[in-house]
Amino acid sequence: MFKRLKLRIEDMKTISRLIAGADEQARISGEEEPGAEHFLLSALELPDGSAKRVFDRVGINADMFRQAVTTQYEEALQSIGVDMSSVNAEPEPLETERVFHSSKPSGEAVMKKLHKLKKTDKDRPLLGAHVVAVVATMKHGVTARALRSLGVEIASLQQAVDDELVSV
Amino acid sequence: MSDINSIPSPDNPEEALAAVVALRLMAERLERNAVKQAIAQGWSWSQVAEALGVTKQAAHKRHAAYISKNNANRQGDR
Repeated sequence: MFKRLKLRIEDMKTISRLIAGADEQARISGEEEPGAEHFLLSALELPDGSAKRVFDRVGINADMFRQAVTTQYEEALQSIGVDMSSVNAEPEPLETERVFHSSKPSGEAVMKKLHKLKKTDKDRPLLGAHVVAVVATMKHGVTARALRSLGVEIASLQQAVDDELVSV
Repeated sequence: MSDINSIPSPDNPEEALAAVVALRLMAERLERNAVKQAIAQGWSWSQVAEALGVTKQAAHKRHAAYISKNNANRQGDR
């Protein structure tokens, strides 16, 4: 009983860190609301280190993923003949004290799926690896495209998550 | 010039949807940078709103928080 309560309190702290980190990642990339890619980057900075270890297992890191996100935007625009570098749309980090209260739909999807996943994994604390597990189920969108461009298959990412969670 | 109906390929909706998302992000950044420059050059929020085709309240709500306080104080909300 006490253990379950303690776990729940820890999870709430982790969720708080995850959301604050995703907001920060969105601000750094000059976006007003965090999407799934920002939640993933935030998970990579969680103190449990499990998301980072999952990335290690598939041979990538946060910087590579961040660059892949940028690259997939550039390539998507190139596919319609738009050169992003020719437009005054360089991302500038947002400097604001405003607290964001919403996420992009992909960010909301991460939180919903995380909640659902955690219901089936009650004995472990919420970990960064859980966030990677959720993101690995998203087959379309910015995160999926960025991971694909890094040569990371969804199946291998899911396997890496399973391997990491078994070791916890 | 390329035929706009053929890019991206209609056979590849994944690519077309990714382009839409990227365009949206680029438009947001372009808008933010342009508003920042306009305010720095002394434009009022009313003028910015008129140029963007939105209300002054909408323009202010969307962008004011991202324009540095120093800049905002210097220019004022005219």
